[in-house]
Amino acid sequence: MLSRVAERVYWLGRLMERTENTARLLLVRHNAVLDLPKEVQPGWDLLLQVLGAEETFARLSGAATEKNIISFVFGERENPSSIISSLAGARENMRTTREILPSETWERVNSLYLSVARRSNKDLPRSMRHSVLNNIVQSCQQVTGMLAGSMNQDAAYQFIRLGRNLERADMSTRIIDAAAAGLMGNVDETSPFRNVLWISVLQSLSAYQMYRLNVRRSVDREGVLAFLFQSTVFPRAVAHSLQQIEDSMKLLPEHKKASDVVVNLRRQLRETDFSTLAGPDLHLYIDALQLQFISVHSAIGVSWFAHESQQ
Amino acid sequence: MAQPKITSPKPYTRARPRATIDWTNYVPGEFYDEIISSPGRARPATRSLAAFMRKQTIKHLISRQQAADLAIQEMGITFTVYSEGQNIDRSWPMDIIPRIIPLKEWQVLERGLIQRLTALNLFIDDIYNKQKILKDGVVPREIIDSSPEFLKQCVGAKPRYGVWSHVCGSDLVRDADGTVYVLEDNLRVPSGVSYMLENRAISKRVLPQLFERNSILPVADYPSQLFDMLTSLSPRRVAHPEIVVMTPGIFNSAYFEHAYLAQRMGAELVEGADLVVGSDDKVYMKTIRGLSQVDVIYRRINDDYLDPEVFRPDSALGTPGLFRAWRKGNVGLANAPGAGVADDKVIYTFVPAIIKYYLGEDPIIPNVPSFLCVDPRQRQHVLENLATMVVKPANESGGYGMLIGPAATRKELALFADLIKKNPRNYMAQPALKLSTAPTLCGNNIEPRHLDLRPFILQGKKHYVTPGGLTRVALRKGSLVVNSSQGGGSKDTWIVDSEGS
Repeated sequence: MLSRVAERVYWLGRLMERTENTARLLLVRHNAVLDLPKEVQPGWDLLLQVLGAEETFARLSGAATEKNIISFVFGERENPSSIISSLAGARENMRTTREILPSETWERVNSLYLSVARRSNKDLPRSMRHSVLNNIVQSCQQVTGMLAGSMNQDAAYQFIRLGRNLERADMSTRIIDAAAAGLMGNVDETSPFRNVLWISVLQSLSAYQMYRLNVRRSVDREGVLAFLFQSTVFPRAVAHSLQQIEDSMKLLPEHKKASDVVVNLRRQLRETDFSTLAGPDLHLYIDALQLQFISVHSAIGVSWFAHESQQ
Repeated sequence: MAQPKITSPKPYTRARPRATIDWTNYVPGEFYDEIISSPGRARPATRSLAAFMRKQTIKHLISRQQAADLAIQEMGITFTVYSEGQNIDRSWPMDIIPRIIPLKEWQVLERGLIQRLTALNLFIDDIYNKQKILKDGVVPREIIDSSPEFLKQCVGAKPRYGVWSHVCGSDLVRDADGTVYVLEDNLRVPSGVSYMLENRAISKRVLPQLFERNSILPVADYPSQLFDMLTSLSPRRVAHPEIVVMTPGIFNSAYFEHAYLAQRMGAELVEGADLVVGSDDKVYMKTIRGLSQVDVIYRRINDDYLDPEVFRPDSALGTPGLFRAWRKGNVGLANAPGAGVADDKVIYTFVPAIIKYYLGEDPIIPNVPSFLCVDPRQRQHVLENLATMVVKPANESGGYGMLIGPAATRKELALFADLIKKNPRNYMAQPALKLSTAPTLCGNNIEPRHLDLRPFILQGKKHYVTPGGLTRVALRKGSLVVNSSQGGGSKDTWIVDSEGS
């Protein structure tokens, strides 16, 4: 498999996952608006924090109103983390690797892109949000399913999987970070809404029902953190994503250097006691973790994409 | 030109519009129409299509056309046009009414195309080796000497089977009296075959009923024919030679096709930077396992850009050393560099003589009568009759830099007269043909539109011709320009066996 193609499908995996996660984030935020009383509602700018897009937003879109933030996150092409930008990037990577992907996946991604592009310069009114966002999430999952069900599980597939899982781990930590820091700040320890807020964190990651099934205890801080970081059965938990990354790497040639980085990271994560990590410590921990994700990303690049001429 | 009338006065406002297609109102006029010979009369091979359409409402046809357009958009069948310094990706335009050629007629054309490519390959091989045809004075030496497509670097090269142009696209047109001519040969990097395949896929999706009634030759095995031809060029005798398609990249107008063919053949799609030529003069590609040897390159990149060591030194699209690897016989290149020497529009005028010289046969498909501007007498004739001529530069493709006399303004005519006088070697001219037409859905009507046909011919160890080819149609009324880069559309092309039905 060509290194250039491997790199493109890796980014395809990342950007499709980013598209799906961003849509989920908007969807959950939208639902929270409907659930929570005004005084405990997190500000819309929390979304910008999660996506690390505060500066870009300030430069491009002015006042942090619901309407502005939604269109910035949904359809602003100048915002590199918007849904339309991620999708355009995914489509472009796919367009240049079509020859190795099942053709129906390209058709699905292309038609999703076209439908989002048609909406991208319009507002997304509350009445439309659910159906539009939900359609994006479902389409992304369809593509994941099509790839799992109709693509050779060869090197190309492993690169898509690497991209998807690394992006997923990264996004999970961003959501937890923003929730723990931004969201909890406003709410008193004893407030009855604390639980509701932790539930909405689980929901952002489609983890609520799975938490219930797997953890069998009330929704509280320790429980949620341990589940989202360390669960080896929940697909959006960080530990699970890392496990997938390691599995994929081990199916690729010359993987030792890269997989060692992941093996270390997994051990570190396993040994962390989340009940003692509170407030600023948690934030520092997550920061360090995200730096580690970057080193996984670099290790992938060095092992399979970068080419020094050996001849 | 007249159009078939809709028998109901207000077809779109009725709840149940019953207006159907009425061929008696379709008037091909002075042109040869591929489907309707005279108002109300279909040609024998097209009767089933004409009868089917007679039962359809125009509204139904429009809805089928919309379904086709949507499918094309969703499948991402696109081509890229250069306009004002920008690349724009456009959906591929296809008219759903197929163009039909009877099998009997096609079999003759098929033989003619094979004859032509065989002779052209003999010619190229001769030009780069013994040059017998020049010594015998059949083709003037100065035409080769002054041709920018003659590559000195290729002199003495001996590609396998003596074949230089492995994939050829020849454009056929039909004049008012029904004669089919070869308009030009594309021996370098002809494109369009993927659209031929996709047009068929779309037709089957939107008009499946028609496939039950007609026996239509299938086109779908082109990628495997191409793959077999490429395999036959492998220098290494291995069970599974490594075959790659080489593209200039996503910004090339035919990128869609490069990716499409690579996918259908299960070959890697490579860019110049993915390849490297080793100190052993072999070609390798950069993979996730390190370097891996390449046996055959189906290159869709022009000679100029192929290898910066030999051709344009500023080319970032090619691979340094590629030419060297080919000359040493370490890699197969399709098409071989230098093949363009034979699709020069001036050489074109000699093709009948070339066929006679190498094969001792008369051409099965005639050339369009052509005038060489380099010859003073012929040039005089061209300049005097410019308004009825089509003038082509020797080395342009895609319909760029052409003059269509009957459609040109006085200013354009004067400009071309000047150009011809300044650089006669660069121009040839042909009388403007009355290109044949076929019924085409134009807005809410069915009208005749002019078309041509580009079949694709493969030559390696053996020959293959696509059954039919890509029909291109000029969508503007009266226009003769069929190039998609200039507002042309396309049609699915059916070779129909009407004998058995």
